[in-house]
Amino acid sequence: MAPRRTHHGHYPRETAMLRLRCLAAVLLGGLLYGASALADDIDKATYGFPLTNPFEATIATTPPDLRPALPTDEDIDQSDYTLRLRPEREFILPDNFWPVKQLRYRLAQQDHPAPLIFIIAGTGAPYSSSLAEYLKKLFYGAGYHVVQLSSPTSYDFMAAASRHATPGISTEDADDLYRVMQAVRAQHPKLPITDFYLTGYSLGALDAAFVSKLDETRRSFNFKRVLLLNPPVNLYTSVTNLDRLVQTQVKGIDNTTTFYDMVLGKLTRYFQQKGYIDLNDALLFDFQSSRQRLSDEQMAMLIGTSFRFSAADITFTSDLINRRGLIIPPAYPVSEGTSLTPFFRRALQCDFDCYMSEQLIPHWRKVSKGGSLTQLVDQVSLYALEDYLRSSRKIAVMHNADDVILGPGDLGFLRRTLGPRLIVYPYGGHCGNLNYRVNSDAMLEFFRG
Amino acid sequence: MAKKLLLLASLLLSGAALADQPVEDDGFTQPLKDLKFNAGLDQREFERSTWQALNVYDPLESWNRRVYHFNYRVDEWVLLPVVNGYRYVTPSFVRTGVSNFFSNLGDVPNLLNSLLQLKGKRALQTTGRLLVNTTVGIAGLWDPATHWGMPKQSEDFGQTLGFYGVPAGPYLMLPLLGPSNVRDTSGLVVDFGAEGQINYLNMSELSSEHPEITVLRGIDKRYTTNLRYGQLNSPFEYEKIRYVYTEARKLQIAE
Repeated sequence: MAPRRTHHGHYPRETAMLRLRCLAAVLLGGLLYGASALADDIDKATYGFPLTNPFEATIATTPPDLRPALPTDEDIDQSDYTLRLRPEREFILPDNFWPVKQLRYRLAQQDHPAPLIFIIAGTGAPYSSSLAEYLKKLFYGAGYHVVQLSSPTSYDFMAAASRHATPGISTEDADDLYRVMQAVRAQHPKLPITDFYLTGYSLGALDAAFVSKLDETRRSFNFKRVLLLNPPVNLYTSVTNLDRLVQTQVKGIDNTTTFYDMVLGKLTRYFQQKGYIDLNDALLFDFQSSRQRLSDEQMAMLIGTSFRFSAADITFTSDLINRRGLIIPPAYPVSEGTSLTPFFRRALQCDFDCYMSEQLIPHWRKVSKGGSLTQLVDQVSLYALEDYLRSSRKIAVMHNADDVILGPGDLGFLRRTLGPRLIVYPYGGHCGNLNYRVNSDAMLEFFRG
Repeated sequence: MAKKLLLLASLLLSGAALADQPVEDDGFTQPLKDLKFNAGLDQREFERSTWQALNVYDPLESWNRRVYHFNYRVDEWVLLPVVNGYRYVTPSFVRTGVSNFFSNLGDVPNLLNSLLQLKGKRALQTTGRLLVNTTVGIAGLWDPATHWGMPKQSEDFGQTLGFYGVPAGPYLMLPLLGPSNVRDTSGLVVDFGAEGQINYLNMSELSSEHPEITVLRGIDKRYTTNLRYGQLNSPFEYEKIRYVYTEARKLQIAE
C-alpha cells in the first residue's frame, strides 16, 4: 500500500500549497477560536481514551481492542544491520561488551519507492523497544520505509556510536544521531527513497527536534515533516520528576518485604485467584481491576524504578567508557567471567540528578568552558529551539495534559511556540496513548500532510 | 563540595525565579500533585529492593557468565538465523501446527506433575486437553481445547520439587537451554526420562529413529521462546535475567 500522497518536484508549487494551507488553517482557527494560533486541545468527552489514570495509562498503554490494526512481523520485510562507527571502542571496551561494539539498527523496506521515516527511541531504550516496534508497524503499514534507532542514552548507542558517551547534551546527542543516520543512508544506496521524515517519542522526541535543527544546516535529509511525541520540554524538570517517582510512600513494604516482593506477592495472589497463569496484552487491565490492583503511589514507584535502571546503565556505561573511575576502577580487569554485580550495586545508587552532577556537568564544563546548571538546562531543553520551533512549519508536537515528565508551564511554552501545530490530549500519561487509534490516525494524518 | 553548593544555589535561584512569576493555567493536570511522597525524598527503597534482588545464590557465577556469553553467541550466529530460515520456508499455519503438536506432547508431563502435586482440577483440565487435542485436534496439530476453556497449564518436575519444599539450589546457566538452577535441572532430567518411558503417540521411539524430529522440536522450541539475549540492552542483563528467572519460578510454584 503506497502512502496517499503524491510527490511533485515543483518547489514553488509546494510553497504555494503550503501558504494556502496555512492561510486556510489561520482562517479556520480564527473562525473557531477568534484567535489565530491555538493548540488543538482534544476534548475529554469525545476523546474516548478509557484510562484516565496517568500512571495506569503509562504502564498498561491502550487496551488491545482500541489499538489500530497493524501488519504482523511476517508481513514486514525487515532486517537488523550493524554499523562500525567507532573502531577504537573495540580496544577500549572489555571483551564482555562484544555485543555493543558495533551499532545495530532495524530497517523495514517497502518493495517500491517510498518515503523513509526515522524513529528515535526514548530514554535508555534500544531500537527494538516495544514502542519503536509499534511505530514501525504503524508507519510500515501506511507504506513507508522505516528505520528504528536506539536512543543516544541507550547502552548500545553509548558504546558503539556516541563520541563522548556522556549523553544529555542535546546538540551533541543530535550530532551523534545525525552521523548514524548518514551511515544508515550510505549502507543502502539502492533503497528508493522519495522523502525523509523524522519522529521520536519521549527523550527521542527532544532528540528529533535537535536533529531536525541540525539538518537545516547539514542538509543531508531535508526532512519534510518532523513529529515529536511526548517530548520533555525542560529536561531538568523531567529528570527531577522521574527521580522523585521512587520516593512515593508505598504501602505494604517493611523490613522483610521489599517493593519488588510486594508487587510479586500481589501478582502471585492474582494468579492464584485466577487459577492459571496467562500472560497477554490484557493482563494488566485485568490485574488493575482485580483486588490486587496497585495504588497510584505503587504504580509511580514502578515507573520510577524502570527509569532508575536506565539511570544506572547510563551511569555505569559512561563511567566505563570515559574511565572516570567513579563506578569501576579504570584499570579493573574484566573478562567474560567477571562479575559486574559490585558495579551494578554502585551504579544503581545514582539517579539522573546524580549522573548529571557527577558526570554530565563536569564533562559539559570541560567541553564548553564553564557554565551554570541553568545555562545547561536552557541549552539542552526545547527552550534552546524556541525560535526554530516557532518558525518551522514542518514540526508538530503531540502531548498529554497528564504526562508525568512535564512541569507547570511546559504546556504553556509549547502552546505559545507551536500554536496550532500542537495537539494536547487530555489523557494518556507518558506515551500511554500512542497506540490508541485516535492518536495513530492523527500521526498518519500529519505525515500524509 | 563547592560544586554541590553551587548546584544548590542555582537550584534555589531557579526555584525562586519560578515562584516569582505565577504560572498560567495551560491545561496541565499535574499528575504528581496528589501523590504522597516521603518528606525527605530519601527513602532509598529502590536501592534496598534492588540490592536484595541481587542476592541470588550463584556460587558458579564466573562459569555461568561464560555460558551466558556462549549462549548469546550461539543464538546470534546459529539459532536465530535457523529460526529465521524456518520462518522463511514454512507458511505460518504449518509453524502453528508444529508448535501445537509439540505442545500437546508437553501436556503429558504437565498432567503427571499436576497429579504429583495433587492438583485435581488442573489434572482433570490437562487430561481434557490431551483427549480433545489428540482427537479433535488431530494428534495435537490444532488446539481446540484452549478455545473450549481449558487453557494450557505448565507443570514440570522442577515445580513439583519446589511444591514439596525442595530449595532452588545454586543458579545455573545451562548451555543452549538458558537460565535454570540445580533443582530445575534435575527436574528437566526427570521429565525427559519420563517422556521416554511413556512414549506418548510413539514419539520417543520415532525420535530416536529419526533425529530430524528432535531437530524440528529444537527449532520449534527456539521459535516459541521469546527470550532474546541482549533484549534488555543493559550491561547488567545477566543479573536481570537471573532475578527474573528466579522469581518467575517462585511464582509458577506458588500458583
